[in-house]
Amino acid sequence: MNEPKTSALSQATTMSLDPEAMAPPETPWQEFLRIFKKDYQALFGFWVLMILLVTALAGKALTEWWVVFDPEVVRLTDKFLPPFSIPSSDSLSIDRPFGGVYFMGTDELGRDVFARMFQGSFVSLSIGFVAVGISLGIGILLGGLAGFYGHVKLGFITIDTLIMRFTDAMMCFPTFFLILTAVALLPPSIYTIMIIIGLFSWMGTTRFVRAEFLSIRELDYVTAAKALGIPEARIIFRHMVPNALAPVFVSATIGVASAILTESGLSFLGFGVPPPDATWGNILSDGKGFIFDAPWLFFIPGMAIFIVVLAFNLVGEGLREALNPKLRSR
Amino acid sequence: MIVKRLLLFIPLVLVLFLLQSYFWVPTYENQAAGNPNRLVTYIEGSSGDAKILNPALNADSASSSIVSQVFEGLLDLDENLDLRGRLATDWEITERAYLLVNPYHRFPDGTEVTGAALFHHIQKAWKTGTDEGLKNYVQSLELLPSTQREETIPLLLPNAEGKPQLKDIQVKVRVPARVAFTLSQVDQDLFDRLKPILGEQYFDHFPFDEMIRYPKEIGKEAEEALREKFPEILPVGEHNPTIVFYLRKGVNFQDGHEFDAGDVKFTYEAIMNPKNLSPRTPDFEPIKTVEILDPYRVKIIYKRLYSPAINAWTMGILPEHLLNAAAINREKQERNLSEEAQKTFGMRDSQFNRHPIGSGRFQFVEWQGDEFIHLKRFDDYWEGPAQYQDYYMRIIPELFTQEVEFRTGAIDYYSAQPHQVDRYKNDPRYQWFSSLGFAYTYIGYNNRKPLFADGDIRKALGMAINVGEIIQYLMYGEGERTTGPYPKNTEWYDPAIQPLPYDPEGAQAIFQQHGWHVNGDGWLEKNGKIFEFNLITNNGNPIRKNLMTIAQNAWKKIGVKVNTQVFEWAVFLGDFVNTGDFDAVVLGWSMGIDPDLYQIWHSSQAGPQQLNFVGYKSQRADELIVRIRQEYNRDRQRELTHELHRLIHEDQPYTFLYAPLSTRVLDKKIVLVNEADDGEEDYQKIYPIKSGDITYHFHKWRKLEFTPDF
Amino acid sequence: MWNFILRNIGQRLILLIIVSFVAHSFIHLAPGEPSEVDPMNPRMKPEDIAKIRAAFHLDDPLHVQYAYWIRDLASGELKSFKDSQPVLPKIWDRFLNSLPLFILATILVWTWAFPAGIYGAVFRGGAYDRGTVFLSYALISVPGFFLSYLAILWVVGWFGVPVISIKTFGMEHAEPAYKVMDRVWHLVIPSVMAAIGGIAVLSRYVRSQMLEVLSQDYVRTARAKGLEEDTVIYGHALGNALLPFVTMFGLLLPGLIGGSVIFEQIFAWPGLGRLAYEAILSRDFPVIMTLNFIAAVLTLAGTLLSDILYAVVDPRIRLH
Repeated sequence: MNEPKTSALSQATTMSLDPEAMAPPETPWQEFLRIFKKDYQALFGFWVLMILLVTALAGKALTEWWVVFDPEVVRLTDKFLPPFSIPSSDSLSIDRPFGGVYFMGTDELGRDVFARMFQGSFVSLSIGFVAVGISLGIGILLGGLAGFYGHVKLGFITIDTLIMRFTDAMMCFPTFFLILTAVALLPPSIYTIMIIIGLFSWMGTTRFVRAEFLSIRELDYVTAAKALGIPEARIIFRHMVPNALAPVFVSATIGVASAILTESGLSFLGFGVPPPDATWGNILSDGKGFIFDAPWLFFIPGMAIFIVVLAFNLVGEGLREALNPKLRSR
Repeated sequence: MIVKRLLLFIPLVLVLFLLQSYFWVPTYENQAAGNPNRLVTYIEGSSGDAKILNPALNADSASSSIVSQVFEGLLDLDENLDLRGRLATDWEITERAYLLVNPYHRFPDGTEVTGAALFHHIQKAWKTGTDEGLKNYVQSLELLPSTQREETIPLLLPNAEGKPQLKDIQVKVRVPARVAFTLSQVDQDLFDRLKPILGEQYFDHFPFDEMIRYPKEIGKEAEEALREKFPEILPVGEHNPTIVFYLRKGVNFQDGHEFDAGDVKFTYEAIMNPKNLSPRTPDFEPIKTVEILDPYRVKIIYKRLYSPAINAWTMGILPEHLLNAAAINREKQERNLSEEAQKTFGMRDSQFNRHPIGSGRFQFVEWQGDEFIHLKRFDDYWEGPAQYQDYYMRIIPELFTQEVEFRTGAIDYYSAQPHQVDRYKNDPRYQWFSSLGFAYTYIGYNNRKPLFADGDIRKALGMAINVGEIIQYLMYGEGERTTGPYPKNTEWYDPAIQPLPYDPEGAQAIFQQHGWHVNGDGWLEKNGKIFEFNLITNNGNPIRKNLMTIAQNAWKKIGVKVNTQVFEWAVFLGDFVNTGDFDAVVLGWSMGIDPDLYQIWHSSQAGPQQLNFVGYKSQRADELIVRIRQEYNRDRQRELTHELHRLIHEDQPYTFLYAPLSTRVLDKKIVLVNEADDGEEDYQKIYPIKSGDITYHFHKWRKLEFTPDF
Repeated sequence: MWNFILRNIGQRLILLIIVSFVAHSFIHLAPGEPSEVDPMNPRMKPEDIAKIRAAFHLDDPLHVQYAYWIRDLASGELKSFKDSQPVLPKIWDRFLNSLPLFILATILVWTWAFPAGIYGAVFRGGAYDRGTVFLSYALISVPGFFLSYLAILWVVGWFGVPVISIKTFGMEHAEPAYKVMDRVWHLVIPSVMAAIGGIAVLSRYVRSQMLEVLSQDYVRTARAKGLEEDTVIYGHALGNALLPFVTMFGLLLPGLIGGSVIFEQIFAWPGLGRLAYEAILSRDFPVIMTLNFIAAVLTLAGTLLSDILYAVVDPRIRLH
């Protein structure tokens, strides 16, 4: 694995003192890009995610701020129209969908599925991001504390023991079951769901941030930094956190995917995001009752979730490959 | 390398093994046809498991449908919703009434009220007076001397933390001399008829304090609560409606033990036993005593006028010999319980509830939790055995899988959703039923909130909703417009009342009259505030969720801003409905057959945890409600209910939307089999009875090998 | 060694009590009442409700309720609110129903994930590797119930055989061999559905472990010695790559309870997951609490087991 670097260095020593040649042939970032770009699956996932991001923002803008696609208009006369249908002639002109066509058909209330999916893209994504944000925040904080200050004693017990036992305690319960219990018992809202998914999925992050910190703490550059008398906070945030972040980033990507899936599972059991917020999960779970009558209500959101979650997973895998020095191709 | 080969070999073998199991499984085709037993087996799908198979304890619908096959009541409702004798062959309703001597009162002529004088006055009026009712109904009079009795009164008092808790208070009651009436039928106006003789105020002032003694140390709150109950403990004029049931002879329970009056009395006692926590106590609470006259006659005496009370006897009768104290003790010993558990052990804990034995048409065989319940027919049933030999209830939680199983013939009965109507109605393989049940769906407004305090505003909100369109598109025509609090298929409902028109302009005009005008953003505004409220419902019911969206959308068009929320059932009830902390709800009621609306509409029932959660208050409605539940004559009752219906319709505390039709699909091969005495069979199409129920003739159902033409 | 185990058990017991008390408080403080307290019986009077609340101890302080629960659990006489039947036999029955599903799903995961992961590592970057990566991610990216619905539609529509519930209905009189095979068939689809996620995750893990081992010096040495590639991979590398997985056996246990609510719901499987789900819906506190407790016990036992196994198989780790 070290071969490219060593050869470059040996070249540099044998060659002149050209400052350009003194620098490594590529920065870690360049190296990462090179590997990532070669991974077509990850690249595909990346572009899907970019498109999704744009869609989600446009969805938020065009369905709520500047209403072009109104997901809330009920047109009972137009119910269960298949994709690419034209509204029936007796519907009011203000109720007509943008472009005069239902691109994805209509649902049991004659609402435009395209507009709902469009609006849902933002909600679904924000559930994923907020939930992961919460879980990462807790995970990094607790993992970092346990990893760096783990040996500090609070009375008879070390911080490390305290935090790790707490993590064990949280891991005592099957995650989905725990989330289900909490969501079922608490008043439902989109925030409850985001927060609960976040609150119950930080344990993995904590564990490996701690492990990462424990190993980094012993590395030479940290010892050197300590010897130089650099303040602890600076050591942690300037030197240690960036180095521990790579795996965190990977797990965050996959975390978003699993949060979206968890939300759809909760929706299936009837505990998803309550209306009027449309998410892909609850469009899918509403559609499951119409699988024989209006299959597009089931397949469109199902496929959409599938593609997006797949894209997140592939990007996550690509990142893992590109960021893991041990696994780089020789 | 052996490891390499194993790594490949094991998963492949495993998968092959799993896949070959396919060839051992019978296809649906083989299951549904080619199996003679299948024709006499009925399989039903249920989305929830039964909880407890004991008619005195169950409250959920899955348990009830099993319990109603295994157990049988004294009465049931026939095709026209009239009472019909089952374990009872006949019954008669009479009344016994008591009038206390009120020593503080003077007769209109100024003479003192004593036992003898009271008796004399009443006797004179009965024999020679002009009151037809008194003359016709009263059969005999009697003067009873003064007596003493002791009683335990349960009081609901707040404990230290403010939560209500039950406390028993011992009281001593001195009952003064009284006149006892025996009446040929129940007469709620009896004491009103006597007022001209006794004086109008006879019932208003009675010296309860001298008659009722209670321990002084019970505390102020308890004292107040107790004093409120005085007129109940010692009513000045007391009605005791009385029913005598004549029981069917020679009926056996499924274990061969004969049914008799002891079982009836035991069933009553089991329900009233506080240890059993029966959800049916409210139905039987009006009963004063159950007397066994002889093994085939029981006399039920009620504490007060309450005409729906007789309906309680449609509940299944328990076998005394399997559940009485001796039997429970035996079980306690066998189960080897700890002392603590022995103390609380009661009928609720008995294994009987998982292996019930009754006297109904089917007897219990097996129950696999969350999988199925198996019954087989009871061949010694007094009316003759049913056509089906086996009855299964399979528990399949998902409607999708239920439908898959139904379409492949593994379930015989499917209760279809409205949107599936088109698919099944025209399918030649199935027969389709849609009929009115006892349910209706409504939007209820919190009448206490200033926003909804005005009946006109509630009416305007109702006029903005196009119910016709909801029925047509959301319900696919499987619903009927309803206008009031009674089920449409009972006589209590007045069909002459016209529903609110769909008239958004008219609605807006009403708002304008009340000072609401449309502001720049299109919302209705008054004094700088827009008309905005929250509409909530429970989750798990897609139709209600959709109704909410439709209402939100319809109200938006007239400028009313509505926010919608869906809550899980327990939260929905606990935090919003029970506390009265809501603006408007989308909900439905599933009513009973009796015309009593006390719990839902009487103004005294508007407190927390009570069912008049919208806080409807109307003095006239209160009077009517009380009169209806005390009336034993059906014609008079009907007149009263029609008046109540009209009154509630005019006040519009709810927007009454529609009564859903229950829609069910059955295999067309299932028919009613009528067996003549000579063994000849004749087939008839299954039909719903007045209540909307299609299983009334279930005992005659059978699956044929061919599809009959009707 | 014994010292280590004893101390660990002690720590875990304390943890267990804390966890169960927290769970107890959370469940009791959350809004909503047991459905027995709130039946939609219009005639239920406040007196009747007070009576039921008293019988369930619902108005006692939390710690008293907790004490009641512990006492009844310990004496095995804990009763469900729903039907007053003892909770433990109830859970045991459901456990027996869930067990075959769990075992088969686990076997599927472990037998498929290893070959898939190992070949992925050996042929790293090739078409096979990329194919399996893509496939495994595709499979975990589909919402489970979406895939299950498709599977049911497909199998029932094309083959006309039942897939729902634990056995075909009405097979009571069939030959034993048919009965057994029928049960096996009913296991196939739900267990494959439940195993898919596990296969995908575990095979990725196996692959990266394998890659790590393959880049070690001793493997290079073995190759340099001129050993056959198969011997290097399956003889030398595999054993070492497998070490960490031994510990995962312990962590499997808790999956028994929570993993399969959705699949049990769809396939009408009368297992533990559904028991738990129904209990949550009807606020059957004793059942929820006991299931949570058992889940916690299983997890703690599982982590303990994995710690011990790890120490046993990896001589570098010393227990102290």
